[in-house]
Amino acid sequence: MGLSRREFIKRTAALTAASYVGISLPFSKENEAQAADADSWHKGTCRLCGSGCRLELGVKNGKAVALRGIPQSRTNKGYLCMKGMLFYKLMGNNHPERLKKPLYRARKDQPFKEISWDEALDIAAKEFAKAVKKYGNNSVAYYGSGQALTEETYIFQKVMRGGLRTNNVEGNPRLCMASAVGGYITSFGADEPIGSYTNFERANCFFIIGSNTAEAHPVLFRRIMRRKLDNRDSVKVINADPRVSPTSRIADLHLQFNPGTDLALLNAMAYVILEEKLYDEDFLKNYAVFRMGKEKKQVDFAKYKAFVKEYTPDKVARICGGNITPEKIRQAARWFAKSEGTMSIWTMGINQRKRGVWANNLIHNLHILTGQLCKPGADSFSLTGQPNACGGVREGGGLCHILPAHRLVKKDKLRHEVERLWGIPEGRIPPKPGYHTIAMFEAVNQGKIKAIWINCTSPAQSLPNCDKYRKGMRREDVFMVVTDIFPTKTTELANLILPTAFIFEKTGVYGCTERRSQLTVKAVDAPGEAKPEVWIVREWALRLAKELNDPVIKKCVEPFLGKEPDYELPKAIWDEYTQKLTKGRDNDLRGATYEVLEKLPDGVQWPAPTKEWALKGGTDIKFVRGLDPLADKHAKNDLPYQFYGPAHPDKKLWIWLRPQKGPEEMPDSQYPFYLSTGRIIDHWHTSSMTGRIKELMRANPYAYVEINPKDAKKLGIKPGDMVEVASRRGKNILPAKIYVGPCEGMVFVYWHDQAEDRMINRVTKDAFDPGSKEPEFKICACRIRKVSGPRPLEPFIVNMKA
Amino acid sequence: MPVGGFVINVDPEKIDESIKRLKSLSGVEIHGLDDKGNVVAVLESSTSQEMEGMVKEIMKIETVFSVGLTYFNAEDEIEGNVH
Repeated sequence: MGLSRREFIKRTAALTAASYVGISLPFSKENEAQAADADSWHKGTCRLCGSGCRLELGVKNGKAVALRGIPQSRTNKGYLCMKGMLFYKLMGNNHPERLKKPLYRARKDQPFKEISWDEALDIAAKEFAKAVKKYGNNSVAYYGSGQALTEETYIFQKVMRGGLRTNNVEGNPRLCMASAVGGYITSFGADEPIGSYTNFERANCFFIIGSNTAEAHPVLFRRIMRRKLDNRDSVKVINADPRVSPTSRIADLHLQFNPGTDLALLNAMAYVILEEKLYDEDFLKNYAVFRMGKEKKQVDFAKYKAFVKEYTPDKVARICGGNITPEKIRQAARWFAKSEGTMSIWTMGINQRKRGVWANNLIHNLHILTGQLCKPGADSFSLTGQPNACGGVREGGGLCHILPAHRLVKKDKLRHEVERLWGIPEGRIPPKPGYHTIAMFEAVNQGKIKAIWINCTSPAQSLPNCDKYRKGMRREDVFMVVTDIFPTKTTELANLILPTAFIFEKTGVYGCTERRSQLTVKAVDAPGEAKPEVWIVREWALRLAKELNDPVIKKCVEPFLGKEPDYELPKAIWDEYTQKLTKGRDNDLRGATYEVLEKLPDGVQWPAPTKEWALKGGTDIKFVRGLDPLADKHAKNDLPYQFYGPAHPDKKLWIWLRPQKGPEEMPDSQYPFYLSTGRIIDHWHTSSMTGRIKELMRANPYAYVEINPKDAKKLGIKPGDMVEVASRRGKNILPAKIYVGPCEGMVFVYWHDQAEDRMINRVTKDAFDPGSKEPEFKICACRIRKVSGPRPLEPFIVNMKA
Repeated sequence: MPVGGFVINVDPEKIDESIKRLKSLSGVEIHGLDDKGNVVAVLESSTSQEMEGMVKEIMKIETVFSVGLTYFNAEDEIEGNVH
C-alpha cells in the first residue's frame, strides 16, 4: 500500500537520522513509495560559521525546500545545527527583504534611489578613479570578508593591488583570527593548523581555552562530546575560561581565571611540565629551538627553564584568581602532557586580545614541549569563526600584508613573482603593506581614504568602539560602496549599495578551519537583479581601466572576459589562483580543480599538488612524511616530521619566552568590571542573516548582559532589570540575566544585536595586538548600574525603509 | 508542516528517563535508540518556528547533551508563504 507523501517524508527523515548512528529501522528506503522529496539535490557548504558543514539543498520547482547533511563529509559527518537548518529561508525569493536592485545616493543625508547596474558600475568606477587621480592610489581601499568566496576575495585583491596599485586590501578576519595566523607562523613557521577534525575522534585529552565551542561551533562540539561520552573515564576534557558556558558541561576540569591572566596560566602549565619532567626530550632535541624578543633571539633550554621558573603554580593561582588552585594547574598540565593525544582548541578568547599572538604561542609551546603534535589526536587547533576566513582571506591574499598563497607583500621576490604570474609589469604592486583594519578605518576618519568598497561585512557594527569609526564612514567626502544581500548598519552609511547573490545562488569555494576547500555550485536563482561579486568586480575593473586610461587594470581581468558569471567565471578565477599562484607554495591546491571538488562529498585538504592526491581528500596531517607529500619533497633528513614552513629558515618549531601581560584596560575604581563579549547559538555575527529568520530571532530577540549572582546581589540587580553597561567609549542599556556564567567582577554581552541601545561594540575597546593588529574585543573595563525594572523590548533589525 | 530527522544525544546512563521525557513532548516520534545514548527522532510541527521551539524544549532536558539535525523538509511552508 502506498504511503502518504507526509508519511514518506517522515520516514525519509527517520532513515536519514538512523543511518548516521548505524541504527536499523523497521522500514527501508527501497521499500518505500518512490515519490521524490525534492526534484534535485545540490551539494554545498553551510555559511554560518567556520566549521564547513556539508549539506545538500533540495530544490523543488526552482525553490529551496529541504536540507539534508552529507554523512560522508569529514567535517560534519552529516550533522547540522539550527542555524544551518534554517538558512534556506534567505535564498532566492524566499525572503522579502533581500536587496534586489542597485541603490544610490550622492549624499549620505539623501534617500536612496534605484538605479541600473550600468549606472551603478559607472558611478563606482568614476568615484574610485576620481580619488586615485586627485589623492593618489592609497586613497582607495577594499574591506572584505571571511564570508566571501575565495574567487571573490582573489579577484578583488588582484584588481586593487595589480590594477589600482594599492595594498589597502583588508578583511574582517583581522578581527577574529589574525592572532592565530601570527601564532602559527611564529611557532610553527607556517600558517594554519597541522592536523584536522579527524583528531576529534583520536584525542584523549581536550584542552578547550577561550572557546565556547558548544554555541559557536555546535556541530564540531558534537564530535568532541561523542568522543568524551563514549570514553568517559579515559578521555579528559579541560575547559579554561573566565566564563562557565554550555561548553563546560562536559568538562572534567573547569579552570575559571580572571580575564587576561591566561598567559600566566599557560606558563604555569609549562612550569609543571618541566618540574615533573613531563616533556618529550627527543621531540625537543629533533624539532625545537627556544626564542625570545623582537629580534627572535635564540636561547637555550636552560634560559627557558629559568624564565618559566617565575610561574610557579602557587604564584599563578594567586594571579589568576577565580577558582584556580595550584593543584588544578598541576592536574591540567599532567593530563595535557601524559595523554595519548592532546588536542587544544581555541577561538576568540585567545585571539581577540592585546597579546593574542603571545597567547597562541604559549598554547603551541605546551604542544612542542610535550611532543603533542603530528601524531594521532595530538594537535594545536585554532577554530575559525567564518566559513572562508582561511580559504579566501588567509590563503587568497585578503589582508594588507599578504599576497595570494601565503606570500608576504614586503618580500620583493614573492611580490615580483605574483606580478609575473599575473602578467603585469614588475613594480606594479607597491612594496609597502596597506592599512590594517583599525588603521584603515582611522584613515577613513581622517579623510585619507576617499573611496572604500565594503564587501559582505558590516564594520559599522562589528568594529570595536564602533561609534568612533562610524563618524568617519558618515563623512560626505568618503565615498562608500557596500555589496551585501540585506540592509545592515553599514549600508545605512553607504552611497552605493550593490545587491549580491547568496550561497547556492552562485558558484565558488569556501576553505574551512582544517585547510579544506569545498565547492558550492549554483542551485537556485538570486532574487531580482542581485549578481555574483565576481561579475561585479570584472565589470567594474573594465570601467576603471577606461576612467584611468590604464590598460594594466584591464589586464587584471582579461583572463576572465566573456565567461558566464554563474560557473565559468568563478572556475576561471579558481583555476588561475590554484594552478598558477599556489603552485609550489605550502597551500598547493593544483589538484583541487572544480572537477575534483565536484566528485568528492566534502572537499580537499591542502597541500594537494596533484589530482591523484586531491581525489584521496588531500593532506590530513601536515609535516608528516608519508602523509604529507610536501614533507617528503622538502625532507632534509630521515626524521619522520619535516617542518618545512616558509617562515622558519631553520625548519624548526619555536618555543617562545612570552611573559604574562594583562589587557590594555584594567578595571579600576571608576570602571570596576571586566566586560567580555561573544556569540549565542542562534545568532551569527551582526545578525544581518539570522536576525531575519523569524524562528532564530524569536528564540533570542535581543542581547542581554550576563551578571554573576554575587555581583547582582551587591548592586541590587534582579533578573530582567534594565542595566546600563558603560565604558569610557560608550554605553548600552540591556536586560540583565543573573547567571553563574561570568566570574565575579566580570559581565558578558552578546554582540549580535543591531539596536543602538544594545550594540555592545559601542562600548568595547579598539586597542589591538601590536603583532597581529587584532583588536582586544574580549576585555575592557566597564561599570554597570540598574536603570529600571524590566521593560518590554522589541527585537530590531535594520530596514531599508527606516 | 516541516519535518526534521534528528539524532538526539542523551546521557547513556539515563536513557530510560530521557526517553520518557522526550515522549512526553508532542510532535516528537522516537524511531530508534542505542546504548550509547543515540536517539533517532522525527519532529513534526506546523511551522519551522514551532520546530525551533521544540528543539529548545528538548535542549532544556538535563540528560540531553545535543540535538543534531540530519534532515529537514519544509516544502509545504515554502510553497505557501515562507514568512
